[in-house]
Amino acid sequence: MYNRRSGNDWPTLPNTVCYVSFQTMPNGLDDQEKLLAEAVGAARKQAFQMNHFLDKERMLDALKCASTMLSELRTSMLSPKSYYELYMAVTNELCHLELYLSEKSHKETDLYELVQYSHTIAPRLYLLITVGIVYIKNDSTLKRSILKDLVEMCRGVQHPLRGLFLRNYLLQCTRNILPDVLVAENEHEGNVYDAIDFVLTNFAEMNKLWVRMQHQGHSSEKTRREKEREELKILVGTNLVRLSQLESATLETYKRLILPGILEQVVSCRDAIAQEYLMECIIQVFPDEFHLQTLDPFLKSCAQLETGVNVKNIIISLIERLAAYNQRSGKTSGNAIDAIIPAEVELFEVFSVQVANIVQTRTDMPLEDTISLQVALLSLAQKVYPDRVDYVDKVLGTTAQILDRMNMNNISHLLSVNQELSRLLRICIDFYNNALTIIQLLNFCPLLEKFDYTSRKSLALYMVMNILENETQVPTAEQADSLLTIITPLIKDDDSSTAATTNSADAEEFAEEQGVVARFIHLLRSDEPDMQYKMLQTARKHLGNGGGQRLKHVLPPLVFAAYQLAFKYKAIAEQDENWDKKCQKIVQYCHSTISALAKADLPDLALRLYLQGALVIGEIRYTNHETVAYEFMTQAFSLYEDEISDSKAQLAAITLIMSTFEQMSCFGEENAEPLRTNCALAASKLLKKPDQCRGVVACAALFWSGKQNGEEMRDEKRTLDCLKKGARIASQCLDTGVQVQLYVELLNHYLFYFERGNSLITVAMLNQLIAKVNEELPNLEPSEETKQIESHYKNTLAHLRSRMESNDTTLEVSFAGITLN
Amino acid sequence: MLVLVLGDLHIPHRCSSLPAKFKKLLVPGRIHHILATGNICTKESYDYLKSLANDVHIVRGDFDENLSYPEQKVVTVGQFRIGLCHGHQVVPRGDPEALALIQRQLDVDILITGHTYKFEAYEHGNKFYINPGSATGAFNPLDTNVVPSFVLMDIQSTTVVTYVYQLIGDEVKVERIEYKKI
Repeated sequence: MYNRRSGNDWPTLPNTVCYVSFQTMPNGLDDQEKLLAEAVGAARKQAFQMNHFLDKERMLDALKCASTMLSELRTSMLSPKSYYELYMAVTNELCHLELYLSEKSHKETDLYELVQYSHTIAPRLYLLITVGIVYIKNDSTLKRSILKDLVEMCRGVQHPLRGLFLRNYLLQCTRNILPDVLVAENEHEGNVYDAIDFVLTNFAEMNKLWVRMQHQGHSSEKTRREKEREELKILVGTNLVRLSQLESATLETYKRLILPGILEQVVSCRDAIAQEYLMECIIQVFPDEFHLQTLDPFLKSCAQLETGVNVKNIIISLIERLAAYNQRSGKTSGNAIDAIIPAEVELFEVFSVQVANIVQTRTDMPLEDTISLQVALLSLAQKVYPDRVDYVDKVLGTTAQILDRMNMNNISHLLSVNQELSRLLRICIDFYNNALTIIQLLNFCPLLEKFDYTSRKSLALYMVMNILENETQVPTAEQADSLLTIITPLIKDDDSSTAATTNSADAEEFAEEQGVVARFIHLLRSDEPDMQYKMLQTARKHLGNGGGQRLKHVLPPLVFAAYQLAFKYKAIAEQDENWDKKCQKIVQYCHSTISALAKADLPDLALRLYLQGALVIGEIRYTNHETVAYEFMTQAFSLYEDEISDSKAQLAAITLIMSTFEQMSCFGEENAEPLRTNCALAASKLLKKPDQCRGVVACAALFWSGKQNGEEMRDEKRTLDCLKKGARIASQCLDTGVQVQLYVELLNHYLFYFERGNSLITVAMLNQLIAKVNEELPNLEPSEETKQIESHYKNTLAHLRSRMESNDTTLEVSFAGITLN
Repeated sequence: MLVLVLGDLHIPHRCSSLPAKFKKLLVPGRIHHILATGNICTKESYDYLKSLANDVHIVRGDFDENLSYPEQKVVTVGQFRIGLCHGHQVVPRGDPEALALIQRQLDVDILITGHTYKFEAYEHGNKFYINPGSATGAFNPLDTNVVPSFVLMDIQSTTVVTYVYQLIGDEVKVERIEYKKI
């Protein structure tokens, strides 16, 4: 609302309040409206009269009317908002008078004396100001003395509301005529120092009036009073705006006169509302270049403010402003960042020292606020000195010390201070987006240690997620060690915490966390194989103690990373004469890691990893590889035999063992034969007949495409034996549906080896199977399963037919004699 | 109708994530069905697939923990019956004739399998076979040069246009293969 008249002056003031809240004034809205209407009406009436007399050039009468009009402002009944309305109406009218006076330029009568005969003080001073301004405009040599006189005379009104508005009038009227030169041509015109003196005096007086409001009236009306003060604060702040507009006021002047003047008043008024507002005002209205050079006095004053003042907000506001200034200027000038903030201004050091000072002197400050200040310092360091990791580290160190002094340990995630502290660490993680930089912060871990397990875990997770998002590669064992130490809460349970994961939501969350850790392991990656091995050992040490629930997630990545490393050594076998030994060590590492999984009651997983290992060893072919590959295969077998009991899991496991073995060519007969026989034996011992049948049939591949001394075995007899055994088992199935299904499958397998040239498989055998299916299939109950068997069979016959009709000469076998009917 | 075919991710066992360049290509809302050949391994990866398309079909790979995934599955898209099987059950691994056994059993026009970590798409006995390879280029003891790849099938009535995306070096190469149902 005030902006209507003085909008140009105030844009930089914080919290330019609008009077939205006035509906709730006491006396009731209607009362206020009525009182205001009456007062404005009376004033208008007098104004009309005044203008009338002015037209008639009846000066004395006009002044009398003006005085009567102004006496409306003596009311005590109006709220600040209504008073403001009245003030606006009245001072508008005064403009006419001022205009008239400056045009007529009454030299002959001494108006300045004349208006002082007004009966009451407020009207007298308003008129005095009006006339004084006219005088100054007519004769600038009067400026210095009249300004001095006016600012002193205004002391006559000590009623806070009236006094504030009177002085506001003074400030508004003198807006364009304050002397703004360093040296005046005529010393009576005054210079910028007179202007500073003038505004500072006015400011001090207004501030006193404003503060005094707090101590008037009944204590029960405190809230209302504070609200009214809030509405009037901008009148006081305007003084500071005016000071900032003085163009002749240099940095030197600001340092020596303006800022000390303001601060002295601010500190000595001992009023929290005033202090908080005015400090904020200083930050907002004066230029950043000035702030940079006056940090010490400003921050020192901050330490002396009243207990109720939120010093944290003031400092944060200043830091944010300077950091923004730095970034803004950095962009426009394109200079290196350190060139923008003058080198002699040690911004971080100054803030660091002063913030410490504030923390020490203001013992009443809540811990959260102390930490918020550290957050602000941290962001200053990062924004202005992005390369100075040591600054960031120092803030973390200071914070840790503060907590030490207070004996704060195991800070609960439920405390509000925990949030600020977590923010401090998260900001670091986010800012660098590089975990390797984080571990350079020596105080990061000590600070992290101050948290309770829950928050340490959530910070650890935050860190790992950051590593994954940025794909931060960790190249050395030391770095891996540091990072794994930081994320320890994810790796093992807290010694003190007993809570096990119980419900399924927790279990899901737990699995997800462990998945994140597992993914992270793949980023432990060095181009140096030896270093990579060291890292894997380090990781193994850290990850080994998490209990079965964790091992399941985090050990397999280590095993696969080790397998890959073994291939790497093989690739550089020519450069590294010890590659062979190193591979042996790696395989040992894998073996012990997998057996840890087996011991943790994870036989299925361990079995699969042993099988993968056997393949790897078979491919790498270092010294002794055959024995070790055999050992891996037998480990898989033992797990199969001793640990896996579920029939479905058994079938899956034996199938995997067989398909793995089928691919391996590293075994001599001495080792291959027991493995083959064991597979066949295990398959025939499966619990369910259909499983037995399928297992035994799958075994056929071991004797056909399985390797013997590096070549496919092609043992026609034993291949056929497997198929025959399968057929025999199928014949024992009681469920005809399943039986027919197995026969169709068998037919396909017979065909497979027939086409591959197993000469022991005869057309007669195929015909026999076809006949069996033909015989049984029509008897099946119609069902979805039966339909599936029918189409399987139909497809098989179609395949046979296409083979029989094919002119493909590459086919090794003759399909002649097959009865399809 | 766009069908995403992928598998053998092995996250987090063998690698930390899908290649970033693939993730950029795979945006939600464009794909209608997902057929996964297995070794999705974690619920997190499954949830990721779910975020790309609502209709996700998965068969069980040898490293899948989730026991509820079936060994084999048939999905009908347009006029095609598509069979899905991881392939670790097939001996010898990846053998076309051995795969044909499954094709006949499932009675499908297209058979999709994984386990070899090597992209393949071919016709055999008038049927179409696709192996999308490993979308993460996961480590494989029998092939140390695995190229990350996945497949996108555009199915229009009786035609399938197959696009294979391969990450070669640091670049995504796309190839197009067409198959018509007779």
